[in-house]
Amino acid sequence: MATTLGKSNSGAAFGRSIPRVEARAKVTGKAEYVHNLRLPGMLYGKVHRSTVAHGRIRGIDVAAAKALPGVYAVYTAADIIKLIPEPYYGPAFHDQPILAVDKVHHVGEPVALVLAADPHVAEAAAQLIDVDYEELPAVFDEVEAMTSKAIVHDVLKPAGTFPDLKHLKGKRDTNIALDFHLRRGDVQKAFAEADHVFEHTFRTQQVLHVPLEPFVTVADPTPNQLVIHTASQSPSFVRIEIARLLGWPENRVRVKVPYLGGGFGAKLYIKTEALTAAAALLAGRPVKISLTMEEQFYQITKHAATLRIKSGVTKDGKVTSRECEVWWNGGAYADIGPRVTQKSGFTAPGPYDIDHVSIDSYALYTNLPAAGALRGFGIPQLVWAYESHTDMIAKALKMDPLAIRRKNILREGRPQATGTLMRDAGIEKVLERLAQRMDWEKAFDKGSGTLRRGRGIAIGFKASISPTTSVAIVNVSADGSCMVYCSTVDMGQGSDTAMAQFAAEALGIPVESVTVVHPDTDVTPYDMATLGSRSTYHMGHAVKLAAEDARDKLMQLARDVGLSAETTPTPDIFRKKYGMQAGNIVGVGSYIPTYTSPDAQGQTTNATPFWMIGATGAEVEVDTETGEFKITRLVNLVDVGRPVNPAIVETQISGATMMQLGFTLFERMDFDAGQCTNASLADYKIPGIRDVPLVMENEAVDMVQQSGPFGAKGVGESGTFGVSPAIASAIDDAVGVRLTSLPLTAEAVYRGLRAEAGKPLDE
Amino acid sequence: MTPFELAEPRSLKDALTLLNTDDPSVRAFGGCTALMLMMKTGVFQPTCLVSLRGVEPQHAEIQSDGGALRIGALATLTAIGGSAMVYRAAPVIVNAMQTLSNVRVRNVATLGGHLAHGDPHMDLPPVMIALDAELTAVSVDGERNLRVADLFTGYYETALAKNELISEVRIPSQAGRRSAYLKCTTRTADDWPALGVAVSFATDGKVVRDARVVVSAATEKAVRLRDAEAVLEGATVSDAVLARAGEAAAAEAEMVGDARGSAAYKREMLRVYAARAVKQALAA
Repeated sequence: MATTLGKSNSGAAFGRSIPRVEARAKVTGKAEYVHNLRLPGMLYGKVHRSTVAHGRIRGIDVAAAKALPGVYAVYTAADIIKLIPEPYYGPAFHDQPILAVDKVHHVGEPVALVLAADPHVAEAAAQLIDVDYEELPAVFDEVEAMTSKAIVHDVLKPAGTFPDLKHLKGKRDTNIALDFHLRRGDVQKAFAEADHVFEHTFRTQQVLHVPLEPFVTVADPTPNQLVIHTASQSPSFVRIEIARLLGWPENRVRVKVPYLGGGFGAKLYIKTEALTAAAALLAGRPVKISLTMEEQFYQITKHAATLRIKSGVTKDGKVTSRECEVWWNGGAYADIGPRVTQKSGFTAPGPYDIDHVSIDSYALYTNLPAAGALRGFGIPQLVWAYESHTDMIAKALKMDPLAIRRKNILREGRPQATGTLMRDAGIEKVLERLAQRMDWEKAFDKGSGTLRRGRGIAIGFKASISPTTSVAIVNVSADGSCMVYCSTVDMGQGSDTAMAQFAAEALGIPVESVTVVHPDTDVTPYDMATLGSRSTYHMGHAVKLAAEDARDKLMQLARDVGLSAETTPTPDIFRKKYGMQAGNIVGVGSYIPTYTSPDAQGQTTNATPFWMIGATGAEVEVDTETGEFKITRLVNLVDVGRPVNPAIVETQISGATMMQLGFTLFERMDFDAGQCTNASLADYKIPGIRDVPLVMENEAVDMVQQSGPFGAKGVGESGTFGVSPAIASAIDDAVGVRLTSLPLTAEAVYRGLRAEAGKPLDE
Repeated sequence: MTPFELAEPRSLKDALTLLNTDDPSVRAFGGCTALMLMMKTGVFQPTCLVSLRGVEPQHAEIQSDGGALRIGALATLTAIGGSAMVYRAAPVIVNAMQTLSNVRVRNVATLGGHLAHGDPHMDLPPVMIALDAELTAVSVDGERNLRVADLFTGYYETALAKNELISEVRIPSQAGRRSAYLKCTTRTADDWPALGVAVSFATDGKVVRDARVVVSAATEKAVRLRDAEAVLEGATVSDAVLARAGEAAAAEAEMVGDARGSAAYKREMLRVYAARAVKQALAA
């Protein structure tokens, strides 16, 4: 197509609901996924997993597995160590062995790997492996882990990879991977002076991501490189970490990522990649490891947490002081738990203007499957606690839930708990718009008889992970078409479409003439990872900068040959320069925001490049005879700055909300002595289409993130924030039962009703 | 899941011959929705599965004879749920189908498999017992008739012999009777129920006769609750009668606690749901 550069930043591409670029390929089954990849000579790997929660390995008998016809090899840690002497990985601590070394730390931990050309043979052989364990005392509860005699790891070894986790120290004889502390003002003095002091403890359960595409990796040892095809959210990290493990330069490891069937934070850092890579190098053949849906329950989960909040409040409802203690159940490996602990620690007091704040946040090791990032990095757990706490205070003071929030809300320009001033944070706007949409000031029908109605609101906020880097390349071909090279992973959130929009907007060309190259570390430049709603802001900036660089270079090229790029079709400029359709223009953009590390008191003037705001209003109808309740209306409001693509923004809000609704109402990993007893989709129920509330409304308020690319910022997580506490408060409003543990089951409501009536139900 | 042999006989007779073996890992399937779950978890590792999908099509037919229904065991749940004949004869079946699992399961799962699996969480066993349905079981040795009420002998256990298949289910005329099925689902909408209650009774609009009250899902097997039935027998339904019937049901049923709810909660729900089911049947 003969494109001429139009105006940059004209709004022709940005802010429009352009259809997703991959939609047609996905619905016709043509989109590329690692699961479909088969290489010549490829072997299938099947993992033998630990059956005990904590134990020393006395011996591993692999003889029967090796003897099974069709088995190519059986590997244990003894084989891995020959290739990788220090076979431990992880983003915060190098605590996770590729295969268990001497000890197992949770049920489901990989102990041995079978390779076979036939995956069924590999599976059968994996079941023939016999491991002799000396069982050790185990710890499962996060609060007990603080003082437990059972120590999950003998020594803690910090990774030192990320700048925000540089302060982690190596420690012995503790289950505390990280303790984050924040002190602002004098909390104890303020408590003493307060009219009222309220203290509540809340719990959240361990759940998991359940991407419909389970973890899958293919490693291919080519003569010059190890090529890794993987369903990863962080290809650059995988390359660096695999190169580190092998002691190789980065350019000898190539990581390629096609589309993902969902990620939600599960597919970050190293998951199946290290084991697959080691097996392929040991075997000298391509190896594929694809986990089953059932195995996903042992790979990575979301932190269960215990949260204690204490507030000093004046008699008219002003919160003057707040003390938060949070214990995060990190499971057997730290994964990114320390970052969850720290980043969520920043905002533990909630979006409120409180002078005196004290926060202690602990990442704890236990003998459960590891916990990491899941759509919100700990924020949904915190909002669950502080918003429930807010409404419990309001109820005690006979205040309206909206009034107490209006009185305490953190307004623009005010310092947040870290001392960082709030900028472009639409907390007030989101709250007011929610109140408006909920008709909060109008009378509400509370129902009658056995059907009682109630409503609740909740608001939360989140700091972005910082500082992180994104690099992008924009390549304009001689016909004027354009390719964006970036390592952002499109895992279903629509980033390919968004990045095409950023490039088109900055260049001033139609979105249709832009394609996005999928992550391939030999081709696409570094990106920290696709996580924490950071891509729109960080990669958006990098792509915008790269496109602007390309535009400048194209203008210069046109001037060099005596033309104007704004009036001459781009192909004619190239043809005049090169005498034919030849050449290209390459623009480069690199972005890292400024950041100041918190001091010993947790104080910093620059905690985050932007704030994410999300709020939910819920209306419920409770059956007082059964405890069953229906969500009759759910209203979700977010501040995403200027929406890049309003249609995709709406599906991000509704998707995040539905995911959190599952964590609020049904989902829970059940354990018996560390063994997950519902590790399948038959027994672990996630929401389906019939679980969508009768009425669900989603809206991005009118905001601009001044520091964002074209005014945009991230959206992937904000819809999760307010869901759980809004529903719990609506139930309380309807029937006077306050639940403090998730999930909010009908049985819990019923038990509350019975307890209130003075007739508690037996266990 | 390990590989297995798949047999696809063209006749019921051939299927029965294949199933006439001592090998417990040879099993028949209709839609394979339940067996597949057991195979995925490794609980069941078949050497041979006998698909019934290719046998004579009359085994999937639905027929009406006066008010009575005759449903081939291979009729899919979708076919039954969409049948005007079934709706006229026993609307309770069609109503139950709307929330039975999900559309993907209903499209392939068959009535025969649904009953023969012996899973207490299924929706139709209590309904069929309440309607006093009868079935025919066939094997190479011949055929026999059995009331659905006598089919279930325990948790995933039935009165069917290893080599027997259900060939059809017959539902007698429900003229003068009213029925309802209610279930309590405590997790997602398409989860197995925590409790199922089916009721059926004859009535002149006031007095209840020949009541059947069946509980499922919360119990080891779908079972009639005779004490609750006795409360209803000859009674004119009132809130007091319903309360006593619910009380009797809750006292009589042996509830099992699990991830969907504690036994104590399910017992309370039975009290409420039994009464509501009778009310709904009367309103029908």
